[in-house]
Amino acid sequence: MATAEKPFIRQDGKDKVTGLGRYTADLAMTGMLHAKFRFADHAHARIRSIDTTRARALTGVFAVITHEDVPDVRYGPFVQDRRLFAKSKVRYEGELVAAVAALTPEIAQRACELIEVDYEPLEVVNDIEAALLPGAPLLHEQWAEYGASDDVVRDGNDCSRSTIVKGDADKGMAEADIVVKERYVADMSHAVPIEPHSIVAQWQGDRVTIWSSTQVPFIARSGVATTLAISESNVRVIVPHLGGGFGGKCEFHYEAQVAALARTARRPVRLVFSRREEFVAPDHRREGQVLELETGVRNDGSIVSRRARVILDNGAYSADAPFFPQLAAMMAVGPYKVENVFVDASLAYTNHTPSGSVRAPTAPQSCWAVEQHMDSVAARLGIDPVEFRRRNVVKPGDESPTRQIFEEIGAAETLEKAVEMIGYDRDLPDDEAIGVAIGWWPSFGIASGAYIKINGDGSGTIITGAQECGTGAVMALPLLAAEILGMRPEDFQLLYQDTDAGPFDSGASGSQTTFNNGRAVMAAARDVREQLLDLAAEELEANRDDLELVDGVARVKGSPSKSVTIPDLAEKAHGDRLLLGRGADAVPAMPDCDASGCTGRLGMESFLAPTFITHAVHCKVDRETGVVRILNVAAVHESGRVLNPIGANGQVEGGVVMGIGMALLEGSLIGDDGRQVNPHLLDYKLQTASDSPPIMIGWVDAPTKDGAGGPKGSKGIGEPPCVPTPGAIANAIAKVTGARVHQLPMTPARVWEAMQS
Amino acid sequence: MSGATYTAAASVAEALGALSSGARPIAGGTDLVVGARGGKAPLPEALVAIHNLEELRGMSAEGGGVQMGALVTHAEIVASEAVRSTFTALADASAIVGSHATRHVGTIGGNVMNASPAMETGGPLICFDAMATLRSSSGERELAVAELFAAPGRTTATADELLVAVSLPAPAAGTGSCYVRLEYRRQMEIAIVGATAVVTLDGGTVSDARIAITALAPTIHRVAEAEAALIGGDSGEAAVRSAADAAAAASRPISDVRGSADYRRAMAAVITRRAIVAALSRARGEHVPIPASPALHGATNGGAA
Repeated sequence: MATAEKPFIRQDGKDKVTGLGRYTADLAMTGMLHAKFRFADHAHARIRSIDTTRARALTGVFAVITHEDVPDVRYGPFVQDRRLFAKSKVRYEGELVAAVAALTPEIAQRACELIEVDYEPLEVVNDIEAALLPGAPLLHEQWAEYGASDDVVRDGNDCSRSTIVKGDADKGMAEADIVVKERYVADMSHAVPIEPHSIVAQWQGDRVTIWSSTQVPFIARSGVATTLAISESNVRVIVPHLGGGFGGKCEFHYEAQVAALARTARRPVRLVFSRREEFVAPDHRREGQVLELETGVRNDGSIVSRRARVILDNGAYSADAPFFPQLAAMMAVGPYKVENVFVDASLAYTNHTPSGSVRAPTAPQSCWAVEQHMDSVAARLGIDPVEFRRRNVVKPGDESPTRQIFEEIGAAETLEKAVEMIGYDRDLPDDEAIGVAIGWWPSFGIASGAYIKINGDGSGTIITGAQECGTGAVMALPLLAAEILGMRPEDFQLLYQDTDAGPFDSGASGSQTTFNNGRAVMAAARDVREQLLDLAAEELEANRDDLELVDGVARVKGSPSKSVTIPDLAEKAHGDRLLLGRGADAVPAMPDCDASGCTGRLGMESFLAPTFITHAVHCKVDRETGVVRILNVAAVHESGRVLNPIGANGQVEGGVVMGIGMALLEGSLIGDDGRQVNPHLLDYKLQTASDSPPIMIGWVDAPTKDGAGGPKGSKGIGEPPCVPTPGAIANAIAKVTGARVHQLPMTPARVWEAMQS
Repeated sequence: MSGATYTAAASVAEALGALSSGARPIAGGTDLVVGARGGKAPLPEALVAIHNLEELRGMSAEGGGVQMGALVTHAEIVASEAVRSTFTALADASAIVGSHATRHVGTIGGNVMNASPAMETGGPLICFDAMATLRSSSGERELAVAELFAAPGRTTATADELLVAVSLPAPAAGTGSCYVRLEYRRQMEIAIVGATAVVTLDGGTVSDARIAITALAPTIHRVAEAEAALIGGDSGEAAVRSAADAAAAASRPISDVRGSADYRRAMAAVITRRAIVAALSRARGEHVPIPASPALHGATNGGAA
């Protein structure tokens, strides 16, 4: 029998690798029109007037809409600071001023160009530190009037400020034997899913069906209802195969604008983004950061105090970023015993593309800075960086920056195993070195539901609200149901990615699919199991408590010949009471902590089922050019209990490659005009298959207590694998060159420049 | 994108006719189409496709030289034993153009006529004294590839001329060559800095040297001072360094998203030195893998091709 612990081939794999799979951009409907947007012509300007007359007059144009054609609604998950279309101001280059639906994309584009917008250009807020200085131009003059969650601490261009306070950091610093202070800067980077945003909308009466490349269909549905002022029950969101997301397709993007176009045009409308649009427009790219880190240590290597100032680039609108400062503040301490802490983190409005959750928001860049800083402190102490970490990494019973007591965790074990796998102590040529970094990341407990029906032929159907973004998390749900029901994973079909069918799920975000929907599917399976056992007890005239479900049959424990097959039970049920299971498991409680001294508490003060990771990376640095090659990676993760090794390993491999990209090449340069200079794939350089090194993967088994984690004591695994890679690479580079690179990405030119100084 | 009219020429004469009435030629489309999609420049109003013209295909090696039709792909160049053994720098260059897909679709003719100052094959062609054959409805002429490059994206060919062939004359015995580029990643890359070295050894003495620099000036060009530093010398470290420094001194790099002018200038010396050293090794009969760039940059995972 297949079980969750055994490898398993995903159901959507063949479609995707053979080209049979249909994505949103593949959909075509009779009479379908093509959408294009008119984007802002300035990163910061007041709009004096918008004239769409000439665009409307163009032959083949069916709809031209602006802010005047949609309800005047501000939206945003934490701070309601944006509209579907710019009204009086544009605040970044990718902001929408108008939308057109026309017979062809070319006509739609031409019509967009014919829209006349009269602007008064304003001073561009480009620097995240300057944005917070008194007198800086305000992005949102009316910020105080915006609706916002009560817990968000705001002030002008500071959209969300959080502090983490433990003990007395100043006093601790004064008592330290050695104090090290450093400053690190991370550039903006992107999720870069291969499939760009694509949406098709079609109305039937008052109801709209939207096919969207979203990671979060229920949140998209809610966004459409809010902004178009219609009932959620009149919005159905369906996701065909999704071509990757990495966070870039979280939140609510363009579904409402396309639906509004379709309503005006009275025709189905399709939007497919270009790569450039994908870079500049959606409010989900990884935030640039400035981190000032100061650490006081005793001569024995214990950490007395950490002070940090973190500023994050919010961009023009806040999307889901207001909880980032608190997360970044936790990351600025890291998974270490630190006696006294003061971290002050702010989210600065700028005229940049808005930031939003991209795979482990704030973590890779924070970890990159903190782990370089840890190596710098170790160097000052004269202690090997691994030994310094060994002395300080958190162990069961230790406390977090907010005095959360860690329970069953294996952080220290990931360090030992990674160091062993990479061969940390061996001799290397002068131009090679091994760098080590430790990261951590929380799991997210969120409500989620699923149904399971056993069909008349004994097969099962899992009906779930969960969204498959490519990770295989939804594809692995049959493993969990099959084990409980004594069936095979391949006995189940999945009905998913349709808000009219599945119960609520918060989507492919926060590494939460297996963690939450996995529990829901198990609960639904247990519900069906009870029904099957009732039926089998009647059928076998046996005591229900003596029955088990194994190998596709219900049988009496100890006398396997007394059995009935699940298809026979299903057939019987279809003449009477159907076999239908429902599952919606309770969300695990957040661990206790003491965040009484902290401000801006947005749910990140304690970490539910935290996962710990050590990456050890063997690098070669071309000291004449600054080009860094990754020779080998050891990635060791403590993710509670691993449920599906193929899926988990796949997440680590992808995360490490993404981490290498962030480390070495992936970053947006911003011009003085506030625009991205390299919004295309030739100069925003992703890693290619040819660049990818061998990746050795190790797992530390440390299941959570019952009810404190995901299925069987598992933890989230989607986001964590990219967290420590850049820091480990940075430490290897510094070992070879003797020079720290203080800006991310660590491009060849920056490595070279660091060596010159 | 635009491209209002598109015709696939059935003969070279038909293609030339289309050119004289204003159409632009398209073969692999790896520059034109990608550029249009990326918003660099719209497709020309009228396109004439030349990819079916058998006359422009194929390569031959005669008398120690190589003749290539304009439609010869980078993949074909890399696979050619004559190019690999005799014009090794050209194989180095073609082996790292774009991606696997680009190399199977992109042609030598398109690469040359696109006239990018960062294009890979330009330096080797110039250093090997390659000749371009241009044909129009009114006749045919030959000129050195070196005289074809006018400015970034511009050639000296007239609008009605079609590049039909590129030929490389036999080099002197004892010649070794290498093209090296500074690359940030293995595939889908463009030269940040590139250098070509073609050197001829006579005993221990360098009897001839050609050095060209790529992505370091508005056009790819040879550097006479660098060549002079090598010719007549012993090919020792000092001569190589002074040639490399001369190449850097002759560079006029720009600062852009791929690198600052200072960095590019510094890299000009490094990359030129590496190209010369590898070319000398090959001239001595020593093995340097094709393409040379990944090996010289410390590749350990298989290289580019």
